[in-house]
Amino acid sequence: MHISKVQIVNYRNFSRADIQFNRGINTIIGENGSGKTNLFRAMRLLLDDNLLRMAYRLDETDFHRALGSWRGHWIIISLEFQNVSQDEAIQSLFLHGVGNIEGGAIGTATYNLIFRPKASVRAKLGELQEGDQNGLAEILHAITLDDYETVFTGKSTADFTNPAVYEALVGNFAEVRFPDELEPPEIGGRIPGIMSITKEVSFTFVQALRDVVSDFQNNRTNPLLTLLRGKSGEISAEAMAPITALVQNLNTSIIDLPEVESIRSDIRETITDAAGETYSPSTLSIRSALPEDADRLFQSLRLFVGESDDGYEGAIHELSLGGANLIYLTLKLLEFKYQTAKHAFANFLLIEEPEAHIHTHIQKTLFDRLNFPETQVIYSTHSTHISEVSNVENVNILGRVGGACEVFQPATGLQAGQVRSIQRYLDAVRSNLLFAKSVVLVEGDAEEILVPVLVKQVLGVSLDELGISLINIRSTGFKNVAVLFHDSRIRKRCAIVTDLDATFFDAVPDPLDTPAISKAKEKARGARAAGLRRQADLQEFANDNPWMSVHFAPHTFEVDFVAAGNASKVVGVLGEIYTDVATIALAKEELESNDVERFGTRALTMASSAGKGWFAIQVAKLIDPDTHIPDYLAGAIFTAHRPVSTAILANMLDYRLGHIRKTELYDADDIAEMQGQIQAFRAGQVDRAGIRDAMLASFPADQINAILAHV
Amino acid sequence: MFVWPKDDLNPEQVAAITEPGSVFLVACPGSGKTRALTYKIALELSKLTTAKAWVVAITYTNRAADEIHERIERLGVDTSQLWIGTIHAFCLEWILRPYALYHPDLKHGFRVIDSHDTEQMFTELCKGTPERLRPFECNYYFTSEGLRLEATDRRRHAAISGLLEKYWAHLRANRQIDFELILYYAHDLISMVPSIKTLLGSLFAFVLVDEFQDTKEIQYAILGAILKSAGGRAKTFLVGDPNQAIYGSLGGYAISRTDFADLCGLELTEKGLVMNYRSSQRIVDYFVNYNVHPAPIIAEGRDKDYISLVSFDRLTSNAQLEAELVRLIRFNIETIGIKPHEVCVVAPWWIHLASMTRRLVAALPEYSFDGPGIAPFARDIENFWYKLTRIVLTEPSPQLYVRRLRWAGEVLAALDQAGVDTAQLSRKSLLRECNSIHSEQNDGLPYLREIFDLLFAQLKIDFRAVPTLVEHYVAFFESSATRIDRLVREGGVAFAEITTFRKVFATRSGITVSTIHGVKGAEYDSVIAYALLEGMVPHFADDNQLEAAKRLLYVVCSRARKNLHLVSESGRVDGRGQPYEATRILAACPFGYDDIPPRPGG
Repeated sequence: MHISKVQIVNYRNFSRADIQFNRGINTIIGENGSGKTNLFRAMRLLLDDNLLRMAYRLDETDFHRALGSWRGHWIIISLEFQNVSQDEAIQSLFLHGVGNIEGGAIGTATYNLIFRPKASVRAKLGELQEGDQNGLAEILHAITLDDYETVFTGKSTADFTNPAVYEALVGNFAEVRFPDELEPPEIGGRIPGIMSITKEVSFTFVQALRDVVSDFQNNRTNPLLTLLRGKSGEISAEAMAPITALVQNLNTSIIDLPEVESIRSDIRETITDAAGETYSPSTLSIRSALPEDADRLFQSLRLFVGESDDGYEGAIHELSLGGANLIYLTLKLLEFKYQTAKHAFANFLLIEEPEAHIHTHIQKTLFDRLNFPETQVIYSTHSTHISEVSNVENVNILGRVGGACEVFQPATGLQAGQVRSIQRYLDAVRSNLLFAKSVVLVEGDAEEILVPVLVKQVLGVSLDELGISLINIRSTGFKNVAVLFHDSRIRKRCAIVTDLDATFFDAVPDPLDTPAISKAKEKARGARAAGLRRQADLQEFANDNPWMSVHFAPHTFEVDFVAAGNASKVVGVLGEIYTDVATIALAKEELESNDVERFGTRALTMASSAGKGWFAIQVAKLIDPDTHIPDYLAGAIFTAHRPVSTAILANMLDYRLGHIRKTELYDADDIAEMQGQIQAFRAGQVDRAGIRDAMLASFPADQINAILAHV
Repeated sequence: MFVWPKDDLNPEQVAAITEPGSVFLVACPGSGKTRALTYKIALELSKLTTAKAWVVAITYTNRAADEIHERIERLGVDTSQLWIGTIHAFCLEWILRPYALYHPDLKHGFRVIDSHDTEQMFTELCKGTPERLRPFECNYYFTSEGLRLEATDRRRHAAISGLLEKYWAHLRANRQIDFELILYYAHDLISMVPSIKTLLGSLFAFVLVDEFQDTKEIQYAILGAILKSAGGRAKTFLVGDPNQAIYGSLGGYAISRTDFADLCGLELTEKGLVMNYRSSQRIVDYFVNYNVHPAPIIAEGRDKDYISLVSFDRLTSNAQLEAELVRLIRFNIETIGIKPHEVCVVAPWWIHLASMTRRLVAALPEYSFDGPGIAPFARDIENFWYKLTRIVLTEPSPQLYVRRLRWAGEVLAALDQAGVDTAQLSRKSLLRECNSIHSEQNDGLPYLREIFDLLFAQLKIDFRAVPTLVEHYVAFFESSATRIDRLVREGGVAFAEITTFRKVFATRSGITVSTIHGVKGAEYDSVIAYALLEGMVPHFADDNQLEAAKRLLYVVCSRARKNLHLVSESGRVDGRGQPYEATRILAACPFGYDDIPPRPGG
């Protein structure tokens, strides 16, 4: 049996979330603050014996903030289990409580925590006339947390994250329409009193920890102590008897030492001298702290670990942080193993950010090897090291969108072949793709090297600030990866940038062509045909997908970079590529010719003779604020990053204005005037159209005007 | 493994409970059937190997369930995996509540109404019926095949069925079910949704049924289906006495071993308990005259050699009856030294008893009485307020502690079921709250109202906002008020006082007055039975008149340890003015009856 789905409604930073799990190992990927801890907490409210009582103490801070007023709303946390069987006696009690019977058999089980107004309040809401806003306000105003109840139900059929279902169960607050049915069967029946789900399944939670050593020293959290306690009951009294006798003997022998007695009497004497008889303690003794009770003696054992080759074994606090973390995680896993020995049919292990526990190298191997039978492991991470070893089909991505958490399953609806190629891709080039807020996919090294520098130098913001991951596909196989971005998978923007490879010279075969020219022409024609096919194919692929856009370089990146007005930048690297003065002069002339056939051919020749990557690195050194971003690239960037916030837009304008000031080509008054406009824009007094017009009117030649057209 | 002191059980009891498979145990009266059942439960509980299995025991009354539960706890056996209760409680807890979602009539929740509500609704619905239906004619029950009406006059069945349709429609509209519908829906669910029996079958290690002779066909069907689906993993233990089957008119019957074996797909070994530890040899010799299924019975008890007095009186007239009963009671207590609480007066019909009890109370002021006719409120175990009344009308004491704690648990469970948040309450804290509340009211019902208000104010629960509790509240106080009106009218204002209320839950101290059905399972030194008249014993509606009469007499006579006095008074007339005759089989029984007082040297 495994958890197949978690639905969370109105809990903390979840408005409505569906999280899907598979059997085996599952990964929750998400940036900090995206809701990983809240998701685990939600699950623990239902499954963790240590947290169960908190389910009865939910309060207003547990409601999703975007609700505005929580009053009247429900918090719902719903778990769905699959792979259950009514024919296995060990599951019977569990299924008696939460098994969903459909078509004569039990295929799933559902177990829900519902925090809702008590029946008396729900009845009052149900009696409201539709649209009676005043009546509703009056009822809601009077609601306190005391009017709420926590119920655990099983056998539910409702799809709680469907807004229409929520409205039918809870009500429509805007239109004041509330159900008069107080016991909707869809939410399931109360869990029978004879059963406790937390006793039916075994559940272990390993928290992301910050201080392992103090955990080891705290009796409540020391994982070794938990293990020892578990075993101490199994030791026979006969086996312990001689040992406790030895301890007793030792304890008495040691305090009988004359040195001990003399220290004791010296302390006594000094206290009396210092404080006087009245204020001194009445008795005082020195004793051994070694416990004589068999259980306590056993539990006083400590762990010593040798990390280096010299044979020295140190206590936990002497270990390296990584070593201590590894030991801690190991003991927690062992604790889990002991637990699973008792329950056979369902074991759940939740590990929060294992990267907090262990070294990168171990992170990679750990989850490859972690393989307990009948056990579902769910771990959360923001480490790309761990996420790259996880199966993309078992991944949930949590993303913060506004104040709410959105959940994406990157492999939903994909075919096995598609999943395989994504998996291969993720394994090969790191999975930061999964963490991105938006992505721009590019063909090769040149874009990968130049685009970040271009954006930084021209606009003054980094791609990171824009939340864009630039991913180099190293081919034109965009679809393999882009397929992730879809309404039913990752709902984040993905812009594809590719070359159309249009020919910029006459590629019509001519009988007079030399064999070399003939070959070049043939190649160009082939590339153009391929470009057109790719264009049609990608446009078709992106069609009807609101998350996807495709942007075409008319020719090739290097060619279009020059065409955008950057000939001087390429001219600047001629010295790095050519030594012959005549060639340099010719190349300069060609690059500055404004004739695409000439500068295009030259640019490509330079790139291919130097290597595209190395060529790009050389060009990158010369990129400055005067460089022009090719328009199709600007389009891609600002389609992926959308909407641009006022703050970022203003920052970019300020940056450009700063550059304009530096050039000393413009009137200081105009600059100050524009400065004021930008400030007013920041303050919301000027709208986007207004600031755009102002910029265009004052500094029509600046690159930013072309960019603003895309924003 | 549970072991017991050697003398706790006799060899036949040991043989019955140590039989490894399923058992069909026929137990004669006074044979320690309950003891055997108790030890069997304890033994099976101790044999459980998993925390996920239950031992389920079905008893005829809640009182029997309470007693057995306490006895097992006293034996030192962990009862956390024991479920014991009536078949109705079983169906509610294991089938209806967990699986209501799967029945169209129940999926929106349901409330159980008590017999008082049913009676009231019947009374309403009967009004103005062209057939002049009367409420008692409308009683019904279900078998696995469908509806059965208790009324014997088939010509009235169509009209009754029509009325019942309206009654059920009314219940459905209000999301209510009565006791018969509990069984009907449980059976319906089990048949419609096979997963239920599969799950329950694997949750139960053992299903024990007490008093199987009074079990209805639909109950056998429910239990049989669950056992069958367990495919042999769950075993069963049926115990009862076919000779004591007295609920035939309500559909109860003693199933045969082979029929039950077929139902549940199990082999049942038949065992018997033939040692009677209750009665004298003379009493045994007398009541075996009325057995339907001949079986050997051996008197083995302390009183086996007691010189019993067995009398049969056909001469006393109805007018002299009260005086004669007073004479018999006084003779037993004052002449031969029987303790008052060891005397029981029985009659077949409640209506004869209620007024007679009140007359006896008046005629014998020095003795106290326990009986249905003087209880000021209905013992409706499913009513929330009845559950709570048990706690508030008993004093905290070490003897009652365990029992009150369990009652408190039931109250909490009922609150929970009604949708009240009980997270802040525990059984102990509830008892503490109950114990801390006092009222100066002397009048019983106002006393309870005040106590309830105080208690719920203290618990900070507004029970008037909880529909189930309000419904139960109205039912409880209405039915109690009706009863008290009648009691006060016939017996005096003392019946309305809180001291009378408290007696309901006090341990038995006075002379018991009961119907024949009410003394099932009980025993007394002296039993005085009257109204043993053809038409009442047997009931005119019983199918097999001869057998029904025999069973009733068998039950009455086997209650007595020492003395037995049977009265078939003359001069009673039925509704058509025809005089009642003494019960034929009784009159025909040849026996050397004693005179009371016995003639010297007789």
